[in-house]
Amino acid sequence: MGTRSAARRRDSRNLSWRRAVHFGAGRHVCRRPAPSSRATTGCSFGGPGRPAARMVTAVTSGAAAEKSSEPGGPDEDVAALIPMLRRIVGARVGQHPAAEDLVQETLARVLAAKDRIEPGMIEPYAITTVRNLVATMWRSDDREQRNRHRLHDPNEPHDIEDSVVATEEQSAITEALGRLTEREREVLLAHEVSGRDTRSLADEAGSTAGAVAAQLKRTRARLRVEYLLALEKVEPPTDRCRPVLLALSSADRRRQRELDAPRHLLECDLCARLSAPLLGRGPTREDEVHVPITSDPDIVAARQAARELAVRAGFSGTDLTLLATAVSEVARNIVKFATSGDVTIELLTQPQPGIRVVARDTGPGIPDVDRALEDGFSTAEGLGLGLPGARRLMDEFSIVSERGRGTTVSMTKWFDKKG
Amino acid sequence: MSAGPALVSILRQGDTLVASIHTALDDSEMIRFQNDLVHQIGEHRARGVIIDVAALDVLDSFGSRTLRTIAEMARLRGATTVIVGIQPDVAYAMVQLGMGRMGAHTALDLEEGLAYLSSMRNRRRRAAP
Ligand SMILES: [Zn+2]
Repeated sequence: MGTRSAARRRDSRNLSWRRAVHFGAGRHVCRRPAPSSRATTGCSFGGPGRPAARMVTAVTSGAAAEKSSEPGGPDEDVAALIPMLRRIVGARVGQHPAAEDLVQETLARVLAAKDRIEPGMIEPYAITTVRNLVATMWRSDDREQRNRHRLHDPNEPHDIEDSVVATEEQSAITEALGRLTEREREVLLAHEVSGRDTRSLADEAGSTAGAVAAQLKRTRARLRVEYLLALEKVEPPTDRCRPVLLALSSADRRRQRELDAPRHLLECDLCARLSAPLLGRGPTREDEVHVPITSDPDIVAARQAARELAVRAGFSGTDLTLLATAVSEVARNIVKFATSGDVTIELLTQPQPGIRVVARDTGPGIPDVDRALEDGFSTAEGLGLGLPGARRLMDEFSIVSERGRGTTVSMTKWFDKKG
Repeated sequence: MSAGPALVSILRQGDTLVASIHTALDDSEMIRFQNDLVHQIGEHRARGVIIDVAALDVLDSFGSRTLRTIAEMARLRGATTVIVGIQPDVAYAMVQLGMGRMGAHTALDLEEGLAYLSSMRNRRRRAAP
């Protein structure tokens, strides 16, 4: 990965952290920056990034954690978070060049906010913060944008750093091409490089232009997958990865469903990472929205996405509010009880107009689904699962939960049922 | 500094605080709002608190519970809370969710909320020895 992309990502993160909180006599105004950068701008997070980050680096590299003579000293418990944070970041971004940055940024924020946090709350605060940071990083799809462009046009470096990146990408393309079959490669290159049209290729192979075009489409999809794998220099960890990635790359929705691709993306970090550039390629679907859920602001994003989709489809009235509220509840369950998940909102036309919401997570699972659907279950500390409420707001509702694997909540609202 | 639209504002009018939520808040923002408001209730020795939620298109279980908590904390500090501007659709959804009881007086709008607070103030004055 080029140094430039990492640098740029850092810049954009800094921008997104900027916010203003004004306290004045009798008046408090909390402001939020542009909507696209919402992920880390919850009012309670923040603090200056850079100077504090240097301070933390000193703490960690100076072995203060081991040698300090004051156990439990001011920054001791912060430094003690480092192994845990590295684990969390590692699990999400692997060997990404920004991994250590994310850890350091989190520590900086914890230090900056330390006076405001109860001693016992430092660890949860750090976990929430690091999750937000990782989510923000993925969301700034800077890298995906560049990859998308590069795949078509790898040859025009704009400056020296870009040319380093271009070289890496060029060799990834070469390697990806090498992973195609000879026949695939031949047809692709004849078409893309030599400019031969599908009909002449079809004549030569005794096939039809349509079949050649379909084959080319599959080959391109495969090339994109292999290119991204070569660029990351990884082999997929499971047998399922390549088929899932291919189904995404070729925008083959039937195949994606057969493979339960959304769940695989939740469970497999590599495929989740690669899916962003792959999904970005296909035509954007008007009738489906996909919202990754990792932290508070995503709950709002999910319910707003549901409402917008429903409005676009021509729905109105109370149903919109009921839908948005139910989405809010299931999205919050993901944030509260699972590490990550997503909410998919899909317009239905059969057997009647409606909206289906599927919330998937990779959490611990719900041991007793029936009890979870009882009113008042686990509400003692105000930690209601919100599921009975969501069920009442929707027309159809089902839960599949597997211990240690996660939970899928599917719910549907039909729109023209009422007279 | 980038400055988006204000999320919330808290204005003081005599012994009354008028808090307005201007846009959808996420959970952390909601908690922050709760803390700031409760802090100001103490700081200004407020006797009445109005929370205007007319701009909210959703009050889910967390939002409802937070408002309930604010009202409860205000009560413990001797202040009466009125929640104003709950949209009809939102109210309906809250009832379906089982979050219909707010633990605070509700009123249609700001004027009605202020009127309720002043009637409470008069009653307290009359009750005083
Ligand atoms: Zn995979």
